Amino acid sequence: MVADVKSALKEFSALLGEEHLTTDAATCSTCAVDGKVPRLIVYPSTAEEVAAVLKLAADSGFALIPFRNRTKLDIGNPPERYDMGLSLKGMNNVWHYEPADLTISVEPGLKLKELQHLVARDRLWLPLDPAGDGQASLGGIVAANASGPLRHAYGSPRDMVLGMKIATVQGKIIKTGGRVVKNVAGYDLGKLLIGSYGTLGVIVEVSLKLFPLPGRRETFILQPGNLGIARDLRRRILESPLSPLRMVLLVASAGTKLRVDAPRAFDSSRLEMCIDAGGSDSMLMRIRTMLEGIAKELAVPFESCNAQDAENTWVHASDFRRWIGEGHPQAIVLKICLPISASEQFLSMAQQEAENAKARMAAMSLLGVGIVYVAVLDSLGAADGEHLTRRLKHSAENLGGVLIVEQCPLELKMRLDVWGEPKDDYEIMRKLKMAWDSRRTLAPGRMIGRI
Amino acid sequence: MKSPPLIRELVRATNTEAVLWRAEDLLLYEYDALSVMRQPEAVVFPTTTEEVVRVVGIAAQQGVSVIPRGAGTGLSGGATVAERGILIALSRMNKIVEIDLENQRARVQPGVVNLDLSRAVEDAGYYFAPDPSSQKACTLGGNVAENSGGPHTLAYGVTTHHALGLEIVLSDGDVIHTGAKFWDRPGYDLTGVVVGSEGTLGIVTEITVRLCRLPEAVKTLLAIFDRVLDATRTVAAITARGITPAALEMMDGFTLRAVEAATGAGYPIDSAAVLLIEVEGLREAVEEQAQAIEAVCRENSAREVRCARSEEERALLWKGRKNAFGALGRIAPNYYVQDGVIPRTRLPEMLEFTAEVEKRYALRIGNIFHAGDGNLHPLIMFDARDRSECERVVRAARDLIAKCVEMGGSITGEHGVGVEKNELMPLIFSEDDLEMQRRIKGVFNPSGLFNPGKVLPTGKMCGELRIQIGAGA
Repeated sequence: MVADVKSALKEFSALLGEEHLTTDAATCSTCAVDGKVPRLIVYPSTAEEVAAVLKLAADSGFALIPFRNRTKLDIGNPPERYDMGLSLKGMNNVWHYEPADLTISVEPGLKLKELQHLVARDRLWLPLDPAGDGQASLGGIVAANASGPLRHAYGSPRDMVLGMKIATVQGKIIKTGGRVVKNVAGYDLGKLLIGSYGTLGVIVEVSLKLFPLPGRRETFILQPGNLGIARDLRRRILESPLSPLRMVLLVASAGTKLRVDAPRAFDSSRLEMCIDAGGSDSMLMRIRTMLEGIAKELAVPFESCNAQDAENTWVHASDFRRWIGEGHPQAIVLKICLPISASEQFLSMAQQEAENAKARMAAMSLLGVGIVYVAVLDSLGAADGEHLTRRLKHSAENLGGVLIVEQCPLELKMRLDVWGEPKDDYEIMRKLKMAWDSRRTLAPGRMIGRI
Repeated sequence: MKSPPLIRELVRATNTEAVLWRAEDLLLYEYDALSVMRQPEAVVFPTTTEEVVRVVGIAAQQGVSVIPRGAGTGLSGGATVAERGILIALSRMNKIVEIDLENQRARVQPGVVNLDLSRAVEDAGYYFAPDPSSQKACTLGGNVAENSGGPHTLAYGVTTHHALGLEIVLSDGDVIHTGAKFWDRPGYDLTGVVVGSEGTLGIVTEITVRLCRLPEAVKTLLAIFDRVLDATRTVAAITARGITPAALEMMDGFTLRAVEAATGAGYPIDSAAVLLIEVEGLREAVEEQAQAIEAVCRENSAREVRCARSEEERALLWKGRKNAFGALGRIAPNYYVQDGVIPRTRLPEMLEFTAEVEKRYALRIGNIFHAGDGNLHPLIMFDARDRSECERVVRAARDLIAKCVEMGGSITGEHGVGVEKNELMPLIFSEDDLEMQRRIKGVFNPSGLFNPGKVLPTGKMCGELRIQIGAGA
């Protein structure tokens, strides 16, 4: 931080009003990122205020991290500098909602749960179920391109964002895309912001595509005896005309009791494949018959869940990270992105590596997407944790994928780049960062290559 | 006269068969599907990424710009030469490098024709979802440049939703690889920025795409209306019923009479408008959705709702729709197709406005559009020999686009900005917005070598549609 903190504080105060900022140590410490505590939190309530804050921060040499409910703040490398937090909790407006057009434009602080509630009355939804149990804000979800099991059928925020307004460190509010579902005017800057984790600009409004809610839902549980059978099941289902909404494989080491109210599967060494289907009665009947047939052929136990168990299963699966985290604060949570065909093989390697390290593990695989979340539950110490993480990273890369460390003790985080090594497109990424944020005001050091 | 040293160097970088430079050979390359621009200095047909790198190096050294081109089917002048330059025609880089069905991916060179990819995987039950009307000819490289859509993008999204990774030659000759075969590679989504950048950021030399499963069942309905208004109202009513068809297209009476005359697909020539609606998926879902759609059409005064009874009938209806531009070409000596987007609920209002514009400028306008997306393609008929008519055409087109913007829409939904609409960009973007776009271009293409004079406004013809309409639109 630059020398003249006091005068900068005065300027922020003049800009937002004293009641919209705090330097209270206790409050600031709740917004710490990887052990770094900001000196100041600001609470702007308009897009213009956000833009002004960004410019002032840049001019003052402050480093800033934007957030709302802090559900994803532990993802990323430790910030190189972190002087102030920018909370978007004062920005929850819905600016535009047209059910017949299936579009909505909202401010970044609006929680996913609030949005779902609003549009459900028109039998619509935003088919996203990222971690955070609906508490995550739309701004954060888009900035992290966060998704959950529903990604199988609907894709990620990248597929749903129609346009956005972005506040930049130049103090401007810029627009990209729009509110219509098709638009190819100009460069798609929105894509750049989606998944940029607040390192290029702050999303101050986002327009999204909505979808009709499926008529009825039913969850089916299949219990393949081993990963080989799970792979056969996955192949059979993906090659069939069935198009489930969600399809995950849950894996846990023997004796891993994660939470008392968790679905049964996680209390054992069995595998569970959970499939969520939606549609009319006749569609669900057909899906059930077909799934049952496939299960029978492969001699896999099959059942349909009651509504309560189904709800429970998906709430936990969506919020895998927190679910694991609650009983295991030292857990290492890894996200592995792979070609679809490699997930079972990776899981098998991960089980072996965890066993070698004498650590219990739990995993959730988005079978049709190629994304696997692995949690190593026992505290391993930084050296062993690093060893295991590097082994798994090596396995992921051998299978043609990458490994991202989403959560781990700080000591371990200091030893590696959580995103993995940059590749031949890194130089362009670095230049883009410098073109938009030349003083590295926004979350410096957090993205790949500590950009 | 041509510059022989340039040609010699290009030949050395590739081979004699790979370079066209005689005036008569270059004639064809003055055009794309929009308009005629200037003649390129040469057209080079590389077959490898290395050749592209060499050609880019020579162009940079000689100070001529480089314009990538696929099949030249673009509708906004993107693949034509705006400033002195050479065309890199990627049509000979047409190999499907890899098909990986279990992972639902294919890796292709940019010159692969859109439909050829779907054909290569259809027996295994897969296809490539974006289906522009020119899909028999247009290339995947062109689709990436333009972020192409098509009728079925209503349910499946446009090219950007199906392109996962790119190999790109940059203006300094560096080759980078964006994205991956898998989702969520860490870092900024450069693939997402380059898709739709119209050849102004780099030359794409390889593309990794997603393949989709062919649906189990498909049903194609033709809803026939005596009033245009009823057809447009039906569009929003279908969505409001919670149905997302795979495609939802509209043609007005004028257009479908031309289509019927050209293809004999069975379109009712005495109607005011038709909706061509397709539903796909599980047999049960298709059946139920088709019934629901039929009910909605009837509630909105459809005269008749037909269902294609065979694959042949279905194919014929689509042939009619996909060849509609050509069919209208039989009616007047020239036509100019516009591409605007509006929120789909505003369709009735937009159609009324189009009728007003028709009257105001004494022109004939055919209405054909991806109704489900709110993506309009008004076709303005004219005779290029009539100067006054040409002027009216441009004014009418500009009014239509301005109306789209006023309704909260966009100046282009799938045809791109190119040279046609770059001066219209200020209609939807502020100077600040454009400045951030310029910075993106400055990072990828700092020397301005690639496709100059496209996408971003040049400031030379403020607020004007740029089409040399007398010349062959």
